[in-house]
Amino acid sequence: MCELLSPEGPCWARGFLFLATGLLLLSYLAYLVLGTGVFWALEGSVGVGVARDMGVRMSWGAGAQSPLPRSFWSLHHLPQDIIQAYKDGTYLLDNTTSMGRWEFVGSFFFSVSTITTIGYGNLSPETMAARLFCILFALIGIPLNLVVLNRLGHLMQRGVHRCVQQLGGSWQDPARARWLAGSAALLSGLLLFLLLPPLLFSHMEGWSYVESFYFAFITLSTVGFGDYVIGMDPSRKYPLWYKNIVSLWILFGMAWLALIIKMILSLLEMPGDMCTCSLHCSKGDIQGRSWSQGQEGEHRVQSPGVTSGTFHSGYAI
Amino acid sequence: MPRAGLCSCWGGQVLPLLLAYICYLLLGATIFQLLEKQAEAQSRDQFQLEKLRFLENYTCLDQQALEQFVQVILEARVKGVNPKGNSTNPSNWDFGSSFFFAGTVVTTIGYGNLAPSTEAGQVFCVFYALMGIPLNVVFLNHLGTGLRAHLTTLDRWEDHPRHSQVLGLALFLTLGTLVILIFPPMFFSHVEGWSFREGFYFAFITLSTIGFGDYVVGTDPSKHYIAVYRSLAAIWILLGLAWLAVVLSLGSLLLHRCSRLWLLIRGLDLKDGADPDSDPRPQKIPISA
Repeated sequence: MCELLSPEGPCWARGFLFLATGLLLLSYLAYLVLGTGVFWALEGSVGVGVARDMGVRMSWGAGAQSPLPRSFWSLHHLPQDIIQAYKDGTYLLDNTTSMGRWEFVGSFFFSVSTITTIGYGNLSPETMAARLFCILFALIGIPLNLVVLNRLGHLMQRGVHRCVQQLGGSWQDPARARWLAGSAALLSGLLLFLLLPPLLFSHMEGWSYVESFYFAFITLSTVGFGDYVIGMDPSRKYPLWYKNIVSLWILFGMAWLALIIKMILSLLEMPGDMCTCSLHCSKGDIQGRSWSQGQEGEHRVQSPGVTSGTFHSGYAI
Repeated sequence: MPRAGLCSCWGGQVLPLLLAYICYLLLGATIFQLLEKQAEAQSRDQFQLEKLRFLENYTCLDQQALEQFVQVILEARVKGVNPKGNSTNPSNWDFGSSFFFAGTVVTTIGYGNLAPSTEAGQVFCVFYALMGIPLNVVFLNHLGTGLRAHLTTLDRWEDHPRHSQVLGLALFLTLGTLVILIFPPMFFSHVEGWSFREGFYFAFITLSTIGFGDYVVGTDPSKHYIAVYRSLAAIWILLGLAWLAVVLSLGSLLLHRCSRLWLLIRGLDLKDGADPDSDPRPQKIPISA
């Protein structure tokens, strides 16, 4: 196995490594800038439109009830309260607010969103005590979560390997069997975690399919914006099993997505490995590192078991 | 037999782990509920009172009109428009803010105070994250292992860590904590008008990539920020994540050594890779006779 950054290697190899890291940094920055440009282009005009629209509606509101005094516009107080109430998670429409959010189901969901580092934010602790507890809870919970996801992913991989072995035995072509089993795993996971659940969400929540898919991906990758969150519409009735199923889906879906990203990682890392590895390793090490032979590949790239906090997972035991 | 192995793997390792995980979640749920529910009930009542008082003051408005108005404000907030004041704010999607947003996607922080609202933006976001998150991981991985290798020459470190190395390590950790975890929250608290505790809470939630979005730097419309403020914040986030990568890898290295030592003491055989996830580096375990 290679010690990629062994200080005992020849100088030019280390120099090459620095160059590689530098290039990586540059591409990382370039990628950020690319995203920036696209988001800016896509979203910049929309925000302006919304603000204008809101202004029009407000002035219409004032005009329609004409005897309104000008003091209607000294509304500073009310919007502020509304925003604060919204931040607090108190739902605002009508006298009947939705189920009190910090009920057991809500708190459970919050815990899940914390230790998986999804962090929707639709519900977030307001009291200082809860915040302190949140920090401590996360300090222990996040590593725990990573260990669990690592294990789950490991098991999934083992399942794939056994399929590969069985197929390879009967087909006399292990490489092809490997490729086939890997693709099958990828596709079935895709279907099970990313393509079918959005159908359920769009039915339950009334979102479009694209919105549900967006929600599914943003959740499983642990980005978790919180602009779409299941079960928060006060005008709908949700069956009891719904949120529990979703929690299960999050767990297994994250493990699966972590595997996929690990695979992409090993593909990204391979060229680098081959260059520097050739100094220390035999051919066998490099060939053994195709993505579907995750077992060996896992070791070399102390790579993330999950996408969350990038760095954390790489070092999960 | 592979089948038996898989079963024992499930029984011996995964099930207890899953159980512990679920228990941990249940524990968290109970405690959060205990801590927060009362405050929430109070907020709710207070807000209802505010609405009633408002309706009393402006009697030409009825309940329905007020609810409509509330709806308008909520929609604006969801779209990232701050409904307070006259809003001559800089756009939420100017270059600096979009850069910040791209950073929060790629690091999976995902505050959510800002999110793509157009369908095209959402679809692009998915693909952008799909490529960007591994890129981010690779980047941090390299930084982590690179810095760690510089700090400790691993093979020799296990046998007997030299004083200079330990000192260097301690210095790195203390400096890092100050520069990443103490000074920036102080700075942010000062600029944003938060207390230090809130600033620290923000720092933790950001660097752990949870990113609730209840506290986000540079989003208060009543404050005037220097042009590079959000970019500075983004740089701090990247540095902080990289530093954490190093710290965590060092920590896990330490834990690995300790667990190996413990296993050795218990007389278990380690050579045949009983733990397939083990660190593949040549194990120079000190033989304590």
